[in-house]
Amino acid sequence: MTQRPFLGWLVSPAVLLALGLAAAMAAILQYSVRAYVPGSLDVGGLTFENFTTLLRPFYLWAFWNTILLCLMTATFTLILAYPVAYALVRVNNKALKSFILIASITPLFLGEVVRTYSWMIVLGNNGFINSVLMSLGIIDSPLQMMFTTSGVVAALVHVTMPIMVIMLTAGLSHIDRNYEKAAESLGAGPIRCFMTVTLPLSMPGVVAGFSTAFAWTFSAFATPQLIGGGKVNTVSTLVYQLGFASFNFPFAASLSFAGLVMTFAVLALMKRAMRPIERLGEQ
Amino acid sequence: MLTLTDTGLVEPASQSLSTARPAVQLDGVTKRFGNATALHEAWLKIVPGEFMTLLGPSGCGKTTLLNLIAGFLDADGGEIFIDGTLVTETPAHQREIGIVFQNYALFPHMTVANNIAYGLKTRGIEAGEIRRRVEEALALVKLTGFDDRKPRQLSGGQQQRVALARALVIRPKVLLLDEPFSALDKNLRASMQLELKEIQQRLGVTTIFVTHDQAEALSMSERIAVMSAGRIHQIAGPQDVYRRPQDRFVASFIGDASVLSGRLVAVTETAAQVAVGPLTVEVPGAPLAGLAAGADVDLFVRPEHLVLVDQDATGPALNGIVKNQVFQGGHVDLYLELADHAAEPVLLRSSGAHSSSKFRSGDIVHVRPASMDLIAFPKQDG
Repeated sequence: MTQRPFLGWLVSPAVLLALGLAAAMAAILQYSVRAYVPGSLDVGGLTFENFTTLLRPFYLWAFWNTILLCLMTATFTLILAYPVAYALVRVNNKALKSFILIASITPLFLGEVVRTYSWMIVLGNNGFINSVLMSLGIIDSPLQMMFTTSGVVAALVHVTMPIMVIMLTAGLSHIDRNYEKAAESLGAGPIRCFMTVTLPLSMPGVVAGFSTAFAWTFSAFATPQLIGGGKVNTVSTLVYQLGFASFNFPFAASLSFAGLVMTFAVLALMKRAMRPIERLGEQ
Repeated sequence: MLTLTDTGLVEPASQSLSTARPAVQLDGVTKRFGNATALHEAWLKIVPGEFMTLLGPSGCGKTTLLNLIAGFLDADGGEIFIDGTLVTETPAHQREIGIVFQNYALFPHMTVANNIAYGLKTRGIEAGEIRRRVEEALALVKLTGFDDRKPRQLSGGQQQRVALARALVIRPKVLLLDEPFSALDKNLRASMQLELKEIQQRLGVTTIFVTHDQAEALSMSERIAVMSAGRIHQIAGPQDVYRRPQDRFVASFIGDASVLSGRLVAVTETAAQVAVGPLTVEVPGAPLAGLAAGADVDLFVRPEHLVLVDQDATGPALNGIVKNQVFQGGHVDLYLELADHAAEPVLLRSSGAHSSSKFRSGDIVHVRPASMDLIAFPKQDG
């Protein structure tokens, strides 16, 4: 066996972090099985009532809504990010390459809240899109984009773009350019070459990017909260409302716990469902 | 000793060059990358069915030339014809060319059969015909029954056979081979070379083979284009590039050659006499045309051109000191120091008939160049 004298030193911070996170999770789990005492921040005795309340249509609907929102966001992000990632890998011009890289990755450093505020400026009734369309005379009254699911999805797509571009780029850059050359020499035009060689070989990156975008969006809070403005309910905005508007910590805890389990469940299901797609690109 | 015209290698080729329509023709093809010129005005005609090798050190432009013929690069000047059709502007997928890549580039997500069928499907050939031709191609490369394997389940040699089958099954106008043997171990390489050559001859497919390995080039090719620094130095049969190199580069790149310092005695259009110490040898006149008698020249001698002579033998000889002796199995390489005649140790290759333990370092020997194939070039500056 290889000797790793510093293994202990290197691993211990990670272990500490993991223990801290586990303790926090345990605290939330503990809260979720306590009774709510109205008008108090203290909690009552043990109960499973919180979880039975979750089965009410309103909350089930919120779960369903969140999953749909995540699927929509991940799908649109994938469609928009793929050409960017492809260009990033295949463009030879160094300046153009740097521009694409900077343009697609910089939003990552702005933070979700800043990006969301900028979307509010774009989507608002007096915002960029509406004022342009109205000044051009295309519409008479402003389009409602704030406080709608489409508005939330648009902003979330922007939020998830950088991470999707990174994951797709990683997948695409592993594809040997000679595969495409071979396909071309065998008579495949650009579209056929892409559909039969590049796309299938990039599937592992697509699956990884899609799953990451899904999980990323599921936990998104600022964007649905600010752009949805309480009209678009997701699991995370409900957790916030229950916890910090109603001060019902036990129920908020049970909702977040259920949300976490749900994310894992959906990701596991997706992993399974996407296995044949991923297999297309097996090398 | 055979002379140039006896070999019969040059004449038929140049005859067919003038009569048949070339399978590939390059007219002054130039390629630049930024400020660097990767290929200077390449002129080349390849006869149908010919096995032509592009040989040169890495960075000489041979791969650039291959990519230009395949259509993966656009030429900055000149024209390319395939089978008499101008293809300079034709995209790669319409050129009907088969390529075997250095790393084979078999589609990793497809079975062997689907890899081979790929080029047939793009041509819209009907399924039954595809199946028949894939089986035929697999039989050609002796891989019958491997249809459903994935490339990763094959050995290097098998992968190369599949790559060859995939390139040949489309009945390409030209087969391009980009250093296809470099990833194989030595023994497998030799057998694959024989097999490829055999298949190539059986199908009569025009083949352009890119390699930096001169032994490979000499053994497989009908003609070799020797390249360096983006230029084609010489296009000739293997015997001719070895025995009648066009210039210093070809003489030193192909095979082993030692350089002896000589003095030009006389030169005519056909022949020249060069003196090295007490010896005078005859060399072709063309490379020395325009030099005055008395000029310094470099005499290129192959290891097998030098013979050892006994001290009491008649006729002049050069005195040398044995620097090193390397036993190579079938032959012995002697490195000799020829005091005033060569800057570097001179290589002499003697057959196994000479005992391997006959010489020691420091022994004095007498040598004489004995060949019709000596060649001299004007002394290089510096």
